[in-house]
Amino acid sequence: MGSLNMRETIITREQVANPRTHYGDAKASTRHFITQRVTGLINVVFLGFLLFIVVRLAGQDRADMVGVIGNGFIGIPFAVLIGIVAVHMRNGMRDTLEDYLHGRMYSLAMMLNTLFCLIVGLAAIGAIVKIVFWG
Amino acid sequence: MAELTLRKADQPQKGKTWPKPEGATRLREFHVYRYDPDKADNPRIDTYFVNLDDCGPMILDALLYIKNKVDPTLTLRRSCREGICGSCSMNINGLNTLACTKGMDDSTGPVKIYPLPHMPVVKDLVPDLTTFYAQHRAIEPWLKTTSPTPEKEWTQSVENRAKLDGLYECILCACCSTSCPSYWWNGEKYLGPAALLQAYRWLIDSRDETTSERLDNLEDPFKLYRCHTIMNCAKVCPKGLNPAKAIAQIKKMMVERKAA
Repeated sequence: MGSLNMRETIITREQVANPRTHYGDAKASTRHFITQRVTGLINVVFLGFLLFIVVRLAGQDRADMVGVIGNGFIGIPFAVLIGIVAVHMRNGMRDTLEDYLHGRMYSLAMMLNTLFCLIVGLAAIGAIVKIVFWG
Repeated sequence: MAELTLRKADQPQKGKTWPKPEGATRLREFHVYRYDPDKADNPRIDTYFVNLDDCGPMILDALLYIKNKVDPTLTLRRSCREGICGSCSMNINGLNTLACTKGMDDSTGPVKIYPLPHMPVVKDLVPDLTTFYAQHRAIEPWLKTTSPTPEKEWTQSVENRAKLDGLYECILCACCSTSCPSYWWNGEKYLGPAALLQAYRWLIDSRDETTSERLDNLEDPFKLYRCHTIMNCAKVCPKGLNPAKAIAQIKKMMVERKAA
C-alpha cells in the first residue's frame, strides 16, 4: 500500500469510458448476466428433477437405470439440462477468472475452463444419448 | 489483479510510541498508520495517547489533538467536521467511515486508524483518489438533455424528485468503493459502488434524456458487472445509503432494455 508509485497524469473521463482502454472491456455483458441468471434458475428446477431420479433409482441395478434414463421423455430433458449446467458452470467460472486473472493468464485459464466444460458436457450428453438410443 | 498479501516494502512495522500527556488522568490509546513517501522506510504504526479531558468526543477531534499537541507531521484530510464534505474518510477499527462522525465511545481499547484500504497512499492517512474521481467523471454526473432548453427551468414532479432520495446524498467519501473486494481487485476497470450510485442517480432523473447512452456506457463486464452483491458498500456508508441496491437497479434496467 505504502510505496505504490504516485500517478502524475490525470485520467480523463474519455479514457475510463472508452472500452478499448484497459479501464473497460468488450460489450455483450448483459447477455452474459441474463444467461447466468436464467441457467441458474433452470438449475434449481433441474436439481429437483435430478434428486427425483436419484431417489427413484436408489438400490436398483444398471438395467433399471437404463430403463429410466432410456425413456426419451426423461433422457432427452436430462441431456438438455446437463448442457445448461455446463453453460452455467463455464459462465460462473469466467466471473471468478475475470476477478483474479488478467492478460494472457486469463486467456489461458478461460480456454481451459471452456475446454473442461465442453468435455464434461459432451461426455455426459453422449452417455445419455447412447442410453436413450442404444441402451 | 488480486493482491492477497502486501509486498515487504509495504508492510507496516511497529513505529514510535509517543509520550503520554503530562498530568492526564483519562487517556485513550491510538495506533495510527504513518507513511512518508520521501523516506525509503516501510510504513509504520505509531502509538499516541490522547487526553480525553482536553479533547472533543469524535475520532477526528483526537486526530487533531495529536496533530496540534503531539505530532504536527501527522497528515490527514478534513474540512467540515460534520459528515458533509467526506474528506476525513479513513479506516477506523477495521471499518471505513468518517472520522468526524465516529465517536471515540463507539469502541473500547486502542483505536486503530489506517487510510482507506487498497488505495495508493500520498502520505499517512491521505489516499490518492485520482482514479476514484476519474470514475465519477466517467459516468457524466450532470443533466444531459436533447430537448430545447426551457425558458425558466427543467421542472420535475414531487414523485419524480422523491426517486432521487437515497442517492443524491452521496458525499463521495469513497468509504464504499474502498471497502469493496471487487474494487480492490479491479479498481481501474470496475467503476465501484460510489460512481455507480451516482450513475443510477442520473439514470432515473426524470429530466435526463440520455438514459440509453448512459446505459450503453455501463454495458461492460467490468464497469458494472464486477458487483457481486458483497454488500460491504451498504454496510460502511456513513450516510446510510445503499449503493448495492442502486447497482441492482441498473442491472435491472439493462435486462429490461435487452428484453424490450
